[in-house]
Amino acid sequence: MRNYIKITALSLMALLASCTDVVDVDVQQGPTRLVIQASLDWEKGTAGNEQLVKLSTSTEFFETTNNTAVTGASVSVTNDTSGAEFIFADQNNGEYTTTEFVPVLNQSYTLNVVHDGATYTAQETLMPVTDITDLYQDREDGFDDEELELHVEFTDPADEENYYLFKFQRQGDLLPELEVGDDEFVNGNEIDWWYEKEENEDTDKIDVLKPGDVVAIEMYGISEAYYDYMDILIDQIGGVGIFSATPVAVKGNCINLTNPDNYAHGYFRLTEVNRTSYTFE
Amino acid sequence: MTKKVTNSVWRLRFTAVLSVLLLLVSARGLAQENYTISGKISDKADGETLFGASVFLEGTTIGVVTNEYGFYSITAPEGEYRLLISYMGYAEKYQEVILDRNQKFNFEISELSTELEEVVVTADEPERAILRKPEMSVVKMNIATVKQMPVVLGEVDILKSLQMLPGVTNNGEGTGGFHVRGGAGDQNLVLLDEAIIYNTSHMFGFFSVFNADAIKDVKLYKGGIPARYGGRVSSVLDVRQKDGNSKQFAATGGIGIISSRLALEGPLFKEKGSFLIAGRRSYADLLLKAAGEDNSVSFYDLNLKTNYKINANNRLFLSGYFGRDAFELGENFTSSYGNSTGNLRWNHIFNAKLFSNLSAVYSKYDYDLGITTAEFDWVSSITNYNLKYDFKYYFSDKFKLDFGASGIYYDFDPGEIRPTSETSAVNPLKLDQKRALESGVYVNAEHKLTDKLTAQYGLRYSAFSRLGGQPMVDYTNNQPVVYNSELGIYERGTPVGETNYEKGDAIENFGNLEPRASLAYTLNDNSSVKAGFSRVAQYIHLLSNTSSATPLDVWAPSGQFIKPQLSNQYALGYFRNFKDKAYSMEAEVYFKNTDNRIDYIDGSDLIGQNTIETEILTGESRAYGLELLLRKNEGDFTGWIAYTLSKSEQRTPGGTAGGLGINNGEWYNTPYDRTHDISISGSYKLNEKLSFGANLVFQTGRPVTYPNGQYEYEGISVASYADRNSDRLPAYHRLDLSVNYKPNRKPQNRLKGEWVLGIYNAYNRKNAASISFGQNLETGANEATRTAIFGIVPSLTYNFKF
Repeated sequence: MRNYIKITALSLMALLASCTDVVDVDVQQGPTRLVIQASLDWEKGTAGNEQLVKLSTSTEFFETTNNTAVTGASVSVTNDTSGAEFIFADQNNGEYTTTEFVPVLNQSYTLNVVHDGATYTAQETLMPVTDITDLYQDREDGFDDEELELHVEFTDPADEENYYLFKFQRQGDLLPELEVGDDEFVNGNEIDWWYEKEENEDTDKIDVLKPGDVVAIEMYGISEAYYDYMDILIDQIGGVGIFSATPVAVKGNCINLTNPDNYAHGYFRLTEVNRTSYTFE
Repeated sequence: MTKKVTNSVWRLRFTAVLSVLLLLVSARGLAQENYTISGKISDKADGETLFGASVFLEGTTIGVVTNEYGFYSITAPEGEYRLLISYMGYAEKYQEVILDRNQKFNFEISELSTELEEVVVTADEPERAILRKPEMSVVKMNIATVKQMPVVLGEVDILKSLQMLPGVTNNGEGTGGFHVRGGAGDQNLVLLDEAIIYNTSHMFGFFSVFNADAIKDVKLYKGGIPARYGGRVSSVLDVRQKDGNSKQFAATGGIGIISSRLALEGPLFKEKGSFLIAGRRSYADLLLKAAGEDNSVSFYDLNLKTNYKINANNRLFLSGYFGRDAFELGENFTSSYGNSTGNLRWNHIFNAKLFSNLSAVYSKYDYDLGITTAEFDWVSSITNYNLKYDFKYYFSDKFKLDFGASGIYYDFDPGEIRPTSETSAVNPLKLDQKRALESGVYVNAEHKLTDKLTAQYGLRYSAFSRLGGQPMVDYTNNQPVVYNSELGIYERGTPVGETNYEKGDAIENFGNLEPRASLAYTLNDNSSVKAGFSRVAQYIHLLSNTSSATPLDVWAPSGQFIKPQLSNQYALGYFRNFKDKAYSMEAEVYFKNTDNRIDYIDGSDLIGQNTIETEILTGESRAYGLELLLRKNEGDFTGWIAYTLSKSEQRTPGGTAGGLGINNGEWYNTPYDRTHDISISGSYKLNEKLSFGANLVFQTGRPVTYPNGQYEYEGISVASYADRNSDRLPAYHRLDLSVNYKPNRKPQNRLKGEWVLGIYNAYNRKNAASISFGQNLETGANEATRTAIFGIVPSLTYNFKF
């Protein structure tokens, strides 16, 4: 709900902002870092044995070549209780995969990555997620009370603090949209989470949700630390305006044991996820 | 136990201050065969008392300027004198005086021209370099000067005018507030008829809350803050409302494109009193609604003032302000916020030498947000009640004393969520209400040591009690923020319980001695040097982790975890008038450092945050600079060139949280750092009908944080950001132009009108309010997007007076 308040304040500003355009800007060049995308997600109703870790490097901000895959690293994940180790095989394209993974809810795991003589490690717990109870469309809610929005309903478990990550992607859109939520102000309630797209006035391209649109929905249960990480990251994705918090270098949970200053970007997360889709009528 | 000890130390200090005060007052018996002339000086046409008018005994160096209420008191040896009353823009007046007893003279003086908003060909006296008074780092603006400067959207704006002077900047277009000598917005004490104004702008800074038709004068202390003020470390903006015309009924107003205003004033109680009522309203919202637009923005405000003269020695004033902004985003989001203030004052003249004023002041700022979609309202507010008693004792020609005391009770309501329906998914929540008491006693002397050397020195003792009536969270190792050395980030501390404080308890007490001193040495008739030192404590803080303050930001009192900000400022200045005072030059250098300036940890979340201490680290800030001001005060062409070269930076070490701190504990720019700031303002009077004005502004870009790299994560390109405030927006510059046209009119016609055509940002510079970085939605390539608030903005206003 905190995000509601934040977003509203920012949108009010948008009423006044009269003109935006793309400009050339000189930016600094920071150090090149290893990027670890170790998202071990266990889709409800599956075995969760197939998992993937992606390694790449960071580049200069305006760089457009995407040849940043890191190969030749060794990647493994260990169950901290049983000691079972899952080796991820190098696919030589920056992807490291396993088909052996055994997911256990609320279990702690440790990631180990060795690359270029440096060892990176991270520890995280596999977080469960509650079921989606209803999916429907409406027009009245959302920022615009005339355009279509998607409603995702679920019941927040009352006994604990819960953190959520949502990923929405409309078929045909290049980029997904990420949102995080917590139950601080809504603990134990039935929650109605909505997703709406706003008209982009600059490009004059109407991209509001329309009948026929198909939206892929992913709803993850996440840890508090990962929530904090994604909260900052998402805040900074859309760009940073005058009423946004001063942007910062976001640090994930992957520690470089060999040289702590040379930490890795990205995160080692373990989640349970609801995956579904909705077609607008 | 320790609390008791501190209390008794306070009491001791307090007693010491009081004794000094009494000693000084009782010293009056020493002056003999001297007599005193006292009284008030006011405008002949409308009866408004005049602040800063000078009263001199011709042929001597004995003189004084009137105080905020137009009062003066002048003491001299027995003899025959010619008393000269002068106030720039007004005709001089003489009075022969045989000084053989104490006497009272009230004077009414006339403006040289009584036309509406006459282009002032001579600047107000205080706008020139004042040589003999030790007062420095002060800007006093006559409302007439403000009115002839070109402004955006046709509305005269005091804050924008102040920003044309050295050392004063804003934080970019579309943001409220102002910044003085590299200080933050919350470090300015803004007073409207002595009431604290917590938010100085309408519509995110497009307009200021000060309606020029209701304002008499404006004084900004950039440093050398007199001992009678306290509570903010950067500056004091003292704005005084008009008392209202006590001679005849009058109306002033203006009709503009965005907003209109009307002020009515007139005598009351058979000329024993007067009133002023002024209102302003924007009507863009009405037009938008009429055009079928769902979204709307609007503001209005109301100024009220009335006074009643009980007798020659007693006068009552009642003043108030009420202003509100409202935003609507369709039917699902509404937002409104505003200040309300009220002040009851009693002027009492004890005798010809002792003037006093007692004030009871109320002020409140509140913010409401309604989110219909999620069925809840979010409200927050700050309220304060202030009682103050100020005295001015005109001991002798060489020695004047200010002293007094004040107490402010604060009620902080940092936020409450109110579900608006049974079905709302949101649970009701109220953040802990906080209460505090801030008090101060002060004494300040203006002392003419020799004919060439004048000193002003004083002491303020301020105390602050954070009152109980709320629980406070306890943390493991008493660390609300902890450095995680493995991940290299600051994290919230672990709560281990709560300590509940009863309403009668104090959670924390603070006390500070704040010495203030300045010296003026007159080199010759046309030049002087001045030096000043001031120490100021600030006990309440605006929490804001955004580049610019927003109306949503809440204030927090000092307490266990947030310590009072303490600032020392040193300034040195050279002042010179030349060409027979037609030109004046002021040069000042300053250095100030402020302890206990808070900054926010990476990823801090302040909205709806009950435990602010888990989001902040405490550091320090420092600022230094050179300010130059060259003015042309007389002639058809008047104006000034202002240049500021400055630096403002801060450092936030890890402290008790551990770690090196923000930016590895290194100094970094504050968002208010501007290396160069040049402002040129001029106005030219062609004839009685036509005059022209122009402003030219150039500023180094605001410090910001840009990306220094990117990486792919979860299907998107994520920017990694460089060190805090290590980049800068492009330089800011713009030109404004205006034309005033007064149509022909018959002298007997009471209705006087004028047209004001203004062009803001005449060459349509797209100044960046922000530059944001993200992916193009179609190509996926990273790009930088500039947001500019104003392009060229023409405006037309018709002003009238009758």
